[in-house]
Amino acid sequence: MAVFLQSLISGILIGGVYALIGIGLTLIFGVMRVVNFAHGDIMMVGMYLTYLLFTLLGVDPFVSVLISFPLMFFFGGFLQKVFINRVLNAVAQNQILLTIGLGLIMSNTVMLIFTSDYKILTTSYSSSTIQVGGGVSISTPLLISFLITAAITAVLGWFLLKTDTGQAIRATAQDREAAQLMGINVSRMSVIAFGLGAALAGTAGALISPTYYIFPQVGGTFTLKAFVITVLGGMGSVVGATLGGILIGVTESMSAVYISSGWKDVVVFVLFLLVLLFKPSGLMGKSRT
Amino acid sequence: MRKHLLALGTALALSPCLMAQKIGVINSMSGPEAPIGENITNGIKLADEDLRKKGINLQLVWEDDTGKPQISMSAMEKLATRDGVVGVVGPYTSACSNAVAKLAEKYRVPLLIPAAAKEEITRQGLKYVFRMNAPADKYASSLIDAATSLGKPRSIAFIYENTDFGTSTTKTAKEYVAKKGMQVVADEPYPKGAADYRSTLAKVKSKNPDLVFMVSYVADAILLMRQSKEVGLQPQAFLGAGAGFTTTEFAKERAISENVISCTQWTNDVNWPGAKEFGARYKAKFGKEPTYHAACAYASMMIMAETAKNAGGDRAKTRDALKSGKWNGVMGEVQFADYEGFTNQNNHQMLVQQILQGNYETVLPAKFATKKAVYPFPKWK
Repeated sequence: MAVFLQSLISGILIGGVYALIGIGLTLIFGVMRVVNFAHGDIMMVGMYLTYLLFTLLGVDPFVSVLISFPLMFFFGGFLQKVFINRVLNAVAQNQILLTIGLGLIMSNTVMLIFTSDYKILTTSYSSSTIQVGGGVSISTPLLISFLITAAITAVLGWFLLKTDTGQAIRATAQDREAAQLMGINVSRMSVIAFGLGAALAGTAGALISPTYYIFPQVGGTFTLKAFVITVLGGMGSVVGATLGGILIGVTESMSAVYISSGWKDVVVFVLFLLVLLFKPSGLMGKSRT
Repeated sequence: MRKHLLALGTALALSPCLMAQKIGVINSMSGPEAPIGENITNGIKLADEDLRKKGINLQLVWEDDTGKPQISMSAMEKLATRDGVVGVVGPYTSACSNAVAKLAEKYRVPLLIPAAAKEEITRQGLKYVFRMNAPADKYASSLIDAATSLGKPRSIAFIYENTDFGTSTTKTAKEYVAKKGMQVVADEPYPKGAADYRSTLAKVKSKNPDLVFMVSYVADAILLMRQSKEVGLQPQAFLGAGAGFTTTEFAKERAISENVISCTQWTNDVNWPGAKEFGARYKAKFGKEPTYHAACAYASMMIMAETAKNAGGDRAKTRDALKSGKWNGVMGEVQFADYEGFTNQNNHQMLVQQILQGNYETVLPAKFATKKAVYPFPKWK
């Protein structure tokens, strides 16, 4: 039982961080209909930003979110304005090629600057835990990052539902042309959405760095994960991405315990295929014709 | 003008005797394995210095394989065909070494592998492939022997990277514990770079093993020990088989690395000729303690360069001389022998060490030991 609870809890906690990456991707897709294959690499940039802030200025990785969130927002906005905006009406293959290319440029630039060595952030709480009884323990840094994730998701939800800009973003996601006819500046919404997506990915990078290691090619794994999460939850659905993230986190950790850690990716992808087979639009997705 | 040409011609004709011996080095100088590769680079640099002092003029051709077998192979092809090296020292990882070994045989270039663990490399009857370090089975047997001599462990759990190095080390370890009558209660290969090992470790914890045997490179080694502490995995001993568990980066993480037992090919307090001096010189020059990789690489380069020089730069003669030679240096006695299915394998004596107060201390075998081992593993704080 302790093993079950332990893996359930760590699955949910790590799933929270996955969700944050997925939300960013789904937001970008929702507004622009562009699948951002550079998402994991944007996250990697966020990780290195955290690493720099920590090693040069001694800023705690969790506090650094306050700095990296706006920085990554502008970085994302810049990418959208200069590159992505030009392919919004292009065929899907060109959009994919562009984002993959951007990702490659990011990871190779970082590799030139930092070399491809693995970096590990060692904070005073990196290996500390909280005992919850019954032999179950929770990693302190993972718990903090989950709480920050939850807070960010809540604020994001409020922003999208209650503010004018949020509503405009949702309107653009629902129907770009109708939104434009209603007087919404859709190209601005696109910049904001991409900026938010990048900021969320960067934040996820910052949050995961105290418990994980950092290297320039780390992005690929997370792009794939974010993609699975987004499709699983329903492309464009924020609630779906949150659910998808936690579902993937729990599935990974459960299959590591009850099957084998070498097989956990297989289990995740089988689950992914099953969902696509029975509900092609994803868990929370509405099929769009 | 003609005189000049003549002089040039003579110089060219004489040059084979004057020209420096070309020795190739393949190493992981960047990429995930770079922190360990750096030790090999530094060891070879020290060997280069010493060889020059001995009057052996050496021209090293450096190749970086970034830890990838395919890059390692193209480096070997370049060294063998374009650079025309007499011999090659390297590469570092097992996967790279295994790939390169077959090429060395194909091009008939003597290859001296300093520190790759996979047994199979010297078990294929390759005549041109030599290995300095003890192969993976020695890691497993030395560590398990150490644990049984310190206590009475009855069960063991294996957690290892699902790569060449991890699976081959674990396979031999499993065969060895079966002979010792120990029970394997968990067998967990993991894909390299997984973010979360907690669930795997929680599963291992539930089996309550007396020994936890891990095989990983440096980043995962730190992550695995951190998360072991998190889930409260509490065996009698954590055994780390080489690689990540024998690096200074790992020892620096004192909160999680203290008392972890590992075994190694070399320590700087062992009484092999020149070992202490090598350690001191290395520290003075590079500002950190050498790992066994550095000593293996140093000894390999010394042997390769001297042999190549005595053989007059001939590849076949160099091979024969490596095969028949006998040396005694920083790695103790070295001889490339054929035994137990191995070909050209140095039957090296392994040392068992434990991290005590943030330092690696030799605890076994008794004749080389400097400190007493801490056993069982103290309760996590």
